[in-house]
Amino acid sequence: MSKVYVLGGAQTDFERNWTKEGKGIFAILKEAMDDGLAAVGMTYEEIAKLNKDNRVAIFVGNFIAEKYCDQSHLGSLLTKINPNLYGVPSARYEAACASGSVALDAAITKVRAGDYDVAITIGWELMKTVSAKVGGDFLGHAADYQAEAKGVDFPFPTLFGKMADALIERYKLDETRFMKNLATISAINYENAKRNPQAQTRKWFMDEAQANDRGTATNMAVGGKIAISDCSQVTDGAAVVVVCNEKFAVEKKGSTAGIPIVKGWGHRVAPINFDLKMADSEFSACILPWTQKTVEDAYKRAGLSVNEMDFFETHDCFTSSEYAAIGCFGITEPGKEYEAIESGKISMRGDKPINPSGGLIGCGHPVGASGVRMMLDLYKQVTGQAGDYQVKDAKNGIMLNFGGTATTNYAYVIGM
Amino acid sequence: MREIKTVTVVGANGTMGYSVSGVFASFGNCKVYMVARKQEAADKAVLDAAGTVKADSVSKRLIAKTYEDLPEILPESDLVFESVAENIQLKKEINEKIAQYVRDDVIVATGTSGLSIDELSKTYPEKIRSRYTGTHFFNPPYQLQLCEVIPTSVTDKAWLKEYKDYLQKVLRRAVVEIKDEAGFLGNRIGFQLMNEVMQYAETHKDKGGIDYMDAILGSFSGRAMPPIVTVDFVGLDVHKAIVDNLYAKTNDYAHETYVLPKYAQAQIDKGEMGVKTGAGLYKSIKNEDGSKKRQVLDIATGSFRDMKKYDFPFVKNLTAALKISDYKGAFDSLKADGSLEAKLCLTFMLKYVLYSLATADAVAEKPGDADICMVTGFNWAPPIGVMVALGGAAETKKLMKEYIEADWLKKVDLDKLVNDNLKPEYDYRRYFRAGR
Repeated sequence: MSKVYVLGGAQTDFERNWTKEGKGIFAILKEAMDDGLAAVGMTYEEIAKLNKDNRVAIFVGNFIAEKYCDQSHLGSLLTKINPNLYGVPSARYEAACASGSVALDAAITKVRAGDYDVAITIGWELMKTVSAKVGGDFLGHAADYQAEAKGVDFPFPTLFGKMADALIERYKLDETRFMKNLATISAINYENAKRNPQAQTRKWFMDEAQANDRGTATNMAVGGKIAISDCSQVTDGAAVVVVCNEKFAVEKKGSTAGIPIVKGWGHRVAPINFDLKMADSEFSACILPWTQKTVEDAYKRAGLSVNEMDFFETHDCFTSSEYAAIGCFGITEPGKEYEAIESGKISMRGDKPINPSGGLIGCGHPVGASGVRMMLDLYKQVTGQAGDYQVKDAKNGIMLNFGGTATTNYAYVIGM
Repeated sequence: MREIKTVTVVGANGTMGYSVSGVFASFGNCKVYMVARKQEAADKAVLDAAGTVKADSVSKRLIAKTYEDLPEILPESDLVFESVAENIQLKKEINEKIAQYVRDDVIVATGTSGLSIDELSKTYPEKIRSRYTGTHFFNPPYQLQLCEVIPTSVTDKAWLKEYKDYLQKVLRRAVVEIKDEAGFLGNRIGFQLMNEVMQYAETHKDKGGIDYMDAILGSFSGRAMPPIVTVDFVGLDVHKAIVDNLYAKTNDYAHETYVLPKYAQAQIDKGEMGVKTGAGLYKSIKNEDGSKKRQVLDIATGSFRDMKKYDFPFVKNLTAALKISDYKGAFDSLKADGSLEAKLCLTFMLKYVLYSLATADAVAEKPGDADICMVTGFNWAPPIGVMVALGGAAETKKLMKEYIEADWLKKVDLDKLVNDNLKPEYDYRRYFRAGR
């Protein structure tokens, strides 16, 4: 099995509303591909040339364009953005909010197995085509739709509100303190996003006091204990990451020096229903044992532990999911996540920063793009290209991307 | 520089006054005394301020005060922001009052958009005057980050650097330093274009006039809102004040483009100022079935008529290409289209680039400041980005020679202004829309 190198890529500006711009699928695919290829020094002509020998393939991550954009068969759409892509193997991969990661998994696996020398992953979602309420229903398809989402207003905030309740109960937490911890998570993500020039919320105001002031006109409650400030964003966006084998890396860059590799990965699927998940984990130390296992698998394959992780990109679709992730990463024991939040350990000033990019809350959450965007941020950090949100001397980082209520779990460790 | 913990905003009941209060209270985490003449007006301003930054939690840092409270609150203030009406006499009176009670190390800023900063600063004793600037926010400041900082002849340079840093890093503003010339940079570029488009509406009144020009300069040309619709939003009275001031105090190649068209003055005389008075250059009327209908002023008749549905072929081709993010194809089609409308569209794109670069050259620190002003102050396409979109410096210069008045070009050093060293401060792509 050969090593898999990460060459880089690009993301669109998550502040953009493509519907307002009058632009759709082909526009966002074109801009993301143009920018992604330019970032790694590739051209469409080069892809056509590689494709003559069947050396390149494209992997598309998207959750639910059928609903948002009335479009399926997403692997084939790229042919329309440039004729050089005619004949290039390309297909769509889906696992709800982990669609980006499952596409990356396919890309990495094909390169590792030697099927292709270069694999381009593009994750994307256009979510501003419909109202927040209609979009909320679409997202409900990431749960057991009939049992958990149908007819429910904003099903996911409701489910992650239940996650907040479950965390308080399982770990016997003081509710006021826990809600303040969630507000801190929100404020850190917004703060980090201010330094990310492509973050959706980079110009917004949010601080811990505002985030902890729930149920007001400017911070409405949306699902149980969860308010607007606890939620990730509705975002239009795409991200591209290019991975390759040693042969292509040398061909392209002269040597593999300075090119990070995929060191480890984990992929586990938990019971889909939230209640089943909670029943399944009733006797575990961790409330999300399959998520924890996913992270452990990735560490193990990398031959590393949490001690060697310089930063984390996690799936903070809600503050409660980032809260639970802290224990899954092993930053604290499960149940003692508050320690890392209150000590500032997970902020940019701490030694285990989570979401330097701003995460899903600050940077934005174009569902099918998020996994790819996380991988891109891992790449930027370990190569020192993260600009104002750079973690000093970052050598290794881990990403955790999940679909549904931490149902499909994916983790990747990237490092030098 | 002193840490800015307490701010007094004088004239806090005006739109800029309460919006700026919101910015200091939120991003700045400051206690803000919001001063109005009447207590009720100040109380209302507090509610408005929290609304502008979408954060109720900041209201606990906003305190309604009146002018009677100045002796008590000014000595405590680290920064005083004067935001009273644009009247030099009034501002001087207020400044005298401020000067009476502030500490020697206070920072004083004026939000004026039209008056001379140097002139206004003279009310203050030397010690304070060295920390007096024009600090020009754009409305609404939560959405528009631009902040033009205008020092005076005696501004302390070392302090100015720290102050600009504060505005940028703490208040999250897009900061540019501009010379003390009328209109500064953003308004000068923006209102020049809008007024010239209004003049063109008059000369093209037989083709439709106002809505004709706005249809030619639709969202595909780099602005979400067409120029004359924008004037209607700003208000004809405000527009007139700005262009009259620019006409009186500046004298560049575009001087005559600041002359307000007669039809606009006629509307002002009728009290029809724009959206805020229900009618201006456009108006919305209700149909019998309750639905709304947009009407536009017909310059030839002086009365309102239904909007025309213009169907310019160049727009169809341009937007078809923009829809798939083919920017090169889009602007190639515009350049190749020989219609009068396509030429007018291209002409205004070119004039916008030239006037932006020429004016930045005259009053700003660098050409890119024009990009910063127009993107973060107007949400318009960055002028240097427009140059790139049109094919780069050489191509843009070639087009300028073809489309811009020769006697204008004679007055500028085109090779110096338009060159390959120019790099856009922002990605231009999002500003060229294919719809809505």
